[in-house]
Amino acid sequence: MIPVTPRGFKDILPTEARWRERIITAARQTLSLWGYDPIETPTLEVLEVLEQGGQLSSTPFRLFDVDNELLVLRPDVTLQVARMVASRLDVADLPLRLRYVQPVFREEQSLRAASRQFTQIGVESIGLSGALADAEVLLLAIDVLEVCGLKDFTLCIGTVGVLRLLLDACVSTSVVNEQWRDEMLAACHEGDAVRIEGLSRIEGLDSRLTQALRALPKINGHEDAIHRCRNLAEPLGLTDGLDQLQATWEIITKVGAAQQTRVDFSVISSYDYYTGLVFEVYAPGLGVALGSGGRYDRMMRGFGKDIPAAGFAFSLEAVMRAMILQGSDVQEETNAAVTVLEAAAAKAAGPEAIDPQAATDVFLRAARLRAQGTRAVVVDATTRPVQKES
Amino acid sequence: MTALKIALPKGALYEDSVALLKAAGLDTTGLDAPDRQLMFDRGDWMYFIVRPTDVPIFVSLGGVDCAICGRDSLAEQGLAVSELVDLGFGACTFVVAEPACAGHSAEEHYRRRGVMRVATKYPNITQRYYDSIGTQVEIVKMHGNIELAPLCGMAERIVDITATGKTLRDNNLVVVTEVLDSTARFIGNTASTRTDPRVRELATRLQAIVVPAPQKGDTAVD
Repeated sequence: MIPVTPRGFKDILPTEARWRERIITAARQTLSLWGYDPIETPTLEVLEVLEQGGQLSSTPFRLFDVDNELLVLRPDVTLQVARMVASRLDVADLPLRLRYVQPVFREEQSLRAASRQFTQIGVESIGLSGALADAEVLLLAIDVLEVCGLKDFTLCIGTVGVLRLLLDACVSTSVVNEQWRDEMLAACHEGDAVRIEGLSRIEGLDSRLTQALRALPKINGHEDAIHRCRNLAEPLGLTDGLDQLQATWEIITKVGAAQQTRVDFSVISSYDYYTGLVFEVYAPGLGVALGSGGRYDRMMRGFGKDIPAAGFAFSLEAVMRAMILQGSDVQEETNAAVTVLEAAAAKAAGPEAIDPQAATDVFLRAARLRAQGTRAVVVDATTRPVQKES
Repeated sequence: MTALKIALPKGALYEDSVALLKAAGLDTTGLDAPDRQLMFDRGDWMYFIVRPTDVPIFVSLGGVDCAICGRDSLAEQGLAVSELVDLGFGACTFVVAEPACAGHSAEEHYRRRGVMRVATKYPNITQRYYDSIGTQVEIVKMHGNIELAPLCGMAERIVDITATGKTLRDNNLVVVTEVLDSTARFIGNTASTRTDPRVRELATRLQAIVVPAPQKGDTAVD
């Protein structure tokens, strides 16, 4: 029997690994140019601790250690960074711009083509708020994806503020309860217009509120979408987050991001996590978001600090799949050629033995080549030649 | 611009689906009698004829941009898609049924054995339903002719979908309770729905056909 990896886990062989390395190097360089510093977080966390920052939006792998502590493999890096910043760093260090490249692990049902490990490339902007900080995360997301080599992609941006206020307004009438809010939120989260419609048909609920609830997730476009949302929310006095979204939109479009950006008020992602800007990144043919981000100003409260934060992360594997689907010209490394230096046999000692002097020379020559940036491999001329790497 | 990819379910919902798209002004040439052809390229639209239970996966993975799909398949598979319009046709109901002569034997099983055995093609919907009423069940997943399971004593009850109730009656089964109503839905891949305005435009066109006139004010911002 051929030994296999667990479902949803894979080996990465050199062809793929080299491509990954090039993308990661380009991404790291770009994020560094934006002023973001690298961090690493542990693979395992105590579940109870991580959940102080918010509900986990995916199912983590869980295990008990010898201390009977319930641990999880990190399903996401953002909560870890919140924990780290709240517990390890000082307010005087703010603002912080942090970046990471780390694998995350999530349980997925079988037979649905889902990996259970993928690599997140992401950033956290901590201690900054306002349209400028939001615009930075969006522009940086576009920049890093382009640098990775992805040509065609769309950021769908929105804000969770309006929906939050709408639901609050509905619940405050006492016509509907918290359970209704949860159901409505789930329906909005799933983009289930039919269920939103059904849930909004409640006797006694202000029809302006229910019409707004039905209309909001359908608002999609460019700047016009923000205006349409404003027309809907302003008469109700529920414009939270719209001014900031508008200001952010103006900045990013003036900087030249209009082509890659759409406004969509159905984007709410994990709602209990985000507090303002929220966005998802899509690429043609991929079917699912390759990355997402937004603002989560309340996350650190769970860890005892009140610090605004925003961030963005994308899946390296999803970007690679999108690039293949887009027929992107995936350039092989230009300096991939390997110079092969052969250590000759010692004539006197017969064809089986290496001449010690020849071996020394060949290693020294190889070292000189490497110092010049040429890949050099030493092989034994007395045995069958090693197949050259392409 | 590339063609918008639409999946249509083979079987009970197929004819109504094609008729609806035709009424919405789409070129559906050839779809009326598809024979064995599974893919139709009609310029702006590209149609894929798929098994009803496969529609959700085609949509959630982005194989197609949008589709027509029964609520039953969506509820069973729980995949992430955007449900955009209730199309109204293809109405059917999930029911719990048992042999007409069963009397209280299922309850008796539950009382004495602490568990009820239920056969179904829809294990997830069945599990969710029994969880919601707090009844412990042993679910037997079947692929067809579910009616046979209680008739031969393999299970006490079944959870199945019924439109007219005829199959149940023909097999001497009676409805114990209703679980869930289902109709056909127009659904979109979430990425396509958000990035390709044609999906929402088609949703609006279909909505206009299936619902008489929207209430005043409903479309103010659409």
